[in-house]
Formats: sequence, C-alpha cells, structure tokens
Amino acid sequence: MRSILAVLVCKLLRSIGGLIGKGSSLPGQIALKICPDVLGRVKLPQHIIAVTGSNGKTSTVEMIAAILTACGKRVVYNKEGSNQIEGVATLILSNCTLGGRMRGDVLLLESDERYARHTFRWFQPTHLVITNLYRDQLTRNGHPEWVYDAIRPAISPETLLVLNADDPLVSCFAREHDAGKVKWFGVDECPSSTKEHRGIYHDGARCPVCKGRMVYSCYHYAHIGHYSCPSCGHERHETDITVTSLDLKAGRLTIDGETEISLAFKSIYNVYNILAAWSVCSLAGADREAMAGVINNYMLKNGRMITFRLGDHKGVLLTSKHENSVAYDTNLAYIADTEKPCTVLIVVDAISRKYFTGETSWLWDIDFDQLGCEHVQKVMLYGRYCNDLAVRFKYTHIPADKIEVGEDIRTAADGLKESGDEDLYVITCFSDRDKLLAYVDRD
Amino acid sequence: MELTIVHLYPDCMSLYGEYANLAVLRRRLGAMGVAVEIREALFEDTPDFERAGLIYMGAGTERTQKAALTALAPYEEAFKTAVDRSAVVLFTGNAMEALGTCVTDADGKVWPGLGLADFTSVETHERTPEDVIAHTSLWDSPVVGFMNKCSVTKGVATPLFERLSLGPGNEEEKGPEGYVSGNVFATHLTGPVLVKNPDFTGTIIRRIFAANGWELPEAIPALPYEQEAHEVTLKELSARCAG
Repeated sequence: MRSILAVLVCKLLRSIGGLIGKGSSLPGQIALKICPDVLGRVKLPQHIIAVTGSNGKTSTVEMIAAILTACGKRVVYNKEGSNQIEGVATLILSNCTLGGRMRGDVLLLESDERYARHTFRWFQPTHLVITNLYRDQLTRNGHPEWVYDAIRPAISPETLLVLNADDPLVSCFAREHDAGKVKWFGVDECPSSTKEHRGIYHDGARCPVCKGRMVYSCYHYAHIGHYSCPSCGHERHETDITVTSLDLKAGRLTIDGETEISLAFKSIYNVYNILAAWSVCSLAGADREAMAGVINNYMLKNGRMITFRLGDHKGVLLTSKHENSVAYDTNLAYIADTEKPCTVLIVVDAISRKYFTGETSWLWDIDFDQLGCEHVQKVMLYGRYCNDLAVRFKYTHIPADKIEVGEDIRTAADGLKESGDEDLYVITCFSDRDKLLAYVDRD
Repeated sequence: MELTIVHLYPDCMSLYGEYANLAVLRRRLGAMGVAVEIREALFEDTPDFERAGLIYMGAGTERTQKAALTALAPYEEAFKTAVDRSAVVLFTGNAMEALGTCVTDADGKVWPGLGLADFTSVETHERTPEDVIAHTSLWDSPVVGFMNKCSVTKGVATPLFERLSLGPGNEEEKGPEGYVSGNVFATHLTGPVLVKNPDFTGTIIRRIFAANGWELPEAIPALPYEQEAHEVTLKELSARCAG
C-alpha cells in the first residue's frame, strides 16, 4: 500500500512541479519518506544502464539514449542530471504504473559517483559504464581514490561492468569482479597520442595498486593511455570494443576496424564518450548500422557550448566546470587549436552553484600555458577570484601585457562591446556563465 | 646565497597544486637574491637531506601516504639530522602525519612515522573537506585555505595554529591545528597554502635566512595580486563564519 501511495504522490508532485517548472528531486525525496524501500518494490525494465565517472556522464547518457531510441527502445532517463537517489526515485516512480511497473524498455541513469551506493542499494544496474576517474570537485569528492572507494560497494556481482581500459584507476574495478562480467573499451595508439605525458600533474605516475612507477607506451590525454606497472603487473586490459583508428584533425574514427564515424566535435573526450556509449549499446544488443547512423556527426544537445555576439565579437562560451582541471584543459586545447586571432575571457566568481567554498587550488592544476600562442591576443581574468587567477597567470609564459584583470563582469562585457572584433572565447562554469550571458546577444 | 629544496615525492604526494608552494618560494626568494635549486626525490631515490635547506612534502591520497611513509622510513636518521641543523621543514596535508609516531589506517593497520613528535593520527571513513581560517601567533594575518582530510591527529603539544575560526582542527572542529617546533612547520591545509598566504611564506623565508646566517632585508614584499587574493578569500570565508 505504502508503495502505491509513494508512486501516486511522486507522480502528482512531479506533474505540479512540471507545471511550475520546478524540482526534479523533491517528489522522489517525499516518496522515499513515505516508503523508504519503494525502489526495491517496483518492477524495473529488463535493461538498467548506469553511467558513472568524473567526466562525460551527461554526454554519454545523452548519446546512449539517442542510439537506443533510434533502435526502437523506449528509454527512460534522467536528462535533467538529477543523479542522486532522490532524482532517480522521481524518474522511476513518475514513470511507474500504480501497480508498480515501470514503463519503458530501458532505464538509463547518470549516476553521481559518490552516491551510487545509495541509489543501487535497492536495485542493481544490468550494465554499469565507468568512464574515467580524475580530479573533480575535490572540495566535495576528496580525491579520485576516495571516489573509487565510494563506487566499489555500489557494484553488484551480477552487473556487467563496462570499463575504460585506458584509465588505470577505473581498470581496478575489474580486480574483484567476475572476469566474465567485465567488458573493456579503449582507444588504440593513434597520431594524436603522445609518448610523453602532457599536463601539469600526472595522476598515472604511480600504479593505483602498488604505487610502483607506472610505464606508459602512449598517452591519449592526462593519465588516460596504455600503461603497465613493472612492479605488480597491473596493466591495460585488452579491449573488447576499440577505436582502432583515429584522426582527430580530420574528425574521423573507426570502431573495431569496420565502422567509420565522423566527429561533430573534434576532441579526444568526445571520442571516449562516443566509445563508451557505443560499447554499452552494442552490449545491450543495438544494431551496428543503426548505432552508426545516430552517432555519426552527433551534435550534443546538452548545451555546454553556447554561441553569441557581444558588440562586434563573435563569441563562444565553453562551459568548463570549476574545480575540474581536465574540463578546463579540454577547452583551452580547443582554443589553442583554433589558430584565429581571439580574446579569451576567464570568469571565476562563484566556485560552485551548489555549495559554498573559497577553494582555488585547482587553478594550479590547469595548464593555462596552452593559451601562450600567438593568436590569443588578450586574456581577461574576471570575477571575485580574479586575483587568484592573476597570481596563477604570473606562473605561465603568457606576457603580462596580454593580461587584463578585473572583478566586475559587467565591466568586462562593456569593454568588449565597445572595442574589437576578434573572436571571443569565454571559459567559465555553470555557476558563473549567466553573469556574462546577461550582457550578450545569444545566437 | 643558495638554497637547496628537497621536494619529497612530487609525482604523487600532490592532491592538487602543491607544487605551487615551491614555485612561490622560488620566485620570492629569487627576488631577494637567493638562487633556489629544487631537488625532487621519488620513492626510489635517496633524498639529499644533507644539502637540504628546506624539505617539503605535500598531501597525497591515503594509500599514497602509506607508500610515502614506507619510502621515507630508511632515511629517518638523515631527516632528523637535517632538522637538528635547523633545516626548514614544511609538510602540508596528510604529509603532516608522517612527522608523528604513527598513522593508523581505516582498517586498523598501524604505520610508523618519522617520530619527530609524539602525536598520532587515526584515519576514519569520514572525510572533512572544508574551508579554513586559522590563527597563529607567529605572524599577523589569519591563514586561509582548505582542508581535505579523513583523519584525527591526537597529542600535538605545540600546534601551529592555536585556534581556527572555520574548519576542522587536529582533534576537533575549530580546535588547534597543525604542528610547529623550531623550523618544522606542519598543517593539514592542502594545496598551495603558501601562495594564498603571503605572511606564512614570509615567515618561512625569514627562517631560511636565519638558518643560513643571511642578512634579512627590512621588507619581504609579497608578489602582485597575492595579498589581494588572500584578502578576498578571508573576506568571503569570514562572512561565511558570521553567517
């Protein structure tokens, strides 16, 4: 009875919430109060796919949903990104019949890496994709090994793990899992991979198992690559689903030597997201041709890249999560590759939109020297923490006369509006982007 | 004037941005005419404590810290000899725990430390990542920063910070934090704590000058924007305390 009531209340609150445009976790929160084990009582679909990891969850989930929908499956997923248990409860219960059966063929979940064990206490995913683990929101997450330890108890022995073989820490999840229930994806060595590590810090320098010195035959980015530990033998596993060739410049990749895909966004991160989505969809029985049809030139809809005009400037806002150096590095690399004269505006005003912190250590993990190229004509550092940015830039090779520092974001926007017509790239987080977008004309 | 800094395990005792502590020291000492050489020691190396004017180790994951304790153990005597001849020591984050007698991990296993002081640390399954405002009588301005630890440290007789107005102390919320004795400084604050706190850096610089018998200039100026960055964070965190 309580579970029926929980479903009913959740559906009701969800539709009211929908009307007033509010809250994706509150209905679930209340439903869980009414019936704490309701998620263990409802009948879920045959396929429950979960995606977790530091970066790429939202994009990977979006592509999985697009592929499986194109394959004729009814996919229920948390596109609003409410990825803790309350949001997941809202999603499941508002898609349930009063008899407690969830509609749809596939339940697809983006799962917060720290709270996965709470979500998966009541039901277990059939497939769990783990994309990568790196330094992300350490003010909440502690550090990648702490996150690893938080995910581990969430993994059921019955779940098929779909792991990024190129991430040495992610690979450790297979160590205590039935080998028959692990599938591996990875990227073969390609022209864009390097022999030397790039970036400010190297979280793959030490083996996650024994802390011996790790050896890499190639790097794709950060600590993602082909590694082996001479001390304990922990090494990159052979892959089941593979990007066998990759030409990032041309924006083309081949999966398993047979399917060619064009990239709408030419970044290695996009390659891994595509590969993760492809892997789990093929394991869930999706047809290769149908998958290729969807993923070829796929434009992500999750709005992390926003185009606009500001005065005579053509602007692109590249959403970069604060406290996530990999996200910043990705976007800096993108700007460095453009090779057209531009100004870059970096805004750090509120470090998070969800919680308070004054922590700016993460600025030191970002490779801002990537902006030390001729076509970057000016770097503007704005927001409450502009001084922290300014100090950080004193330790790059970017000449001081290219740098402008100021607190008030409106001043930055006014200045840009008044002069110049070069391209403008804005790097900032969800927490700060509207503070600039308020002054621009969106495309 | 020449200074050798030994940086212990920079490839992994680095939760985020710890290297910047030495970058700022090198920059500020350089401006004062001191040529700084940073010698990095990995787990496989013998750290050159004999030449060290400053020894630094930053924060690591709990597992990496245990590997660091194991790697450091054979050099306990050499380390203590360096301390006895007034080499400046700065251990930040859970590197601080290495100076005590032992660290007990969350599974109950006890790992011996360098035994420079009598304190002990015990790891828990709870993490306390929190902003910090810390107060010391060694210099004027409060220290701001961030702590990212999962341990409790007991038995520190001489804390570096007498009290915190925000954040977890060695044993309790807002209690005394860190450890100081002579030229040995330790705090659980993580990341580039010297970048964010020019006065803390100033104190370290003074100790380096004194230990080497160098004549100290009247002023030790901070670098551009450093003081402003400190003040903004102090203001933000103080508002948080008041609220």
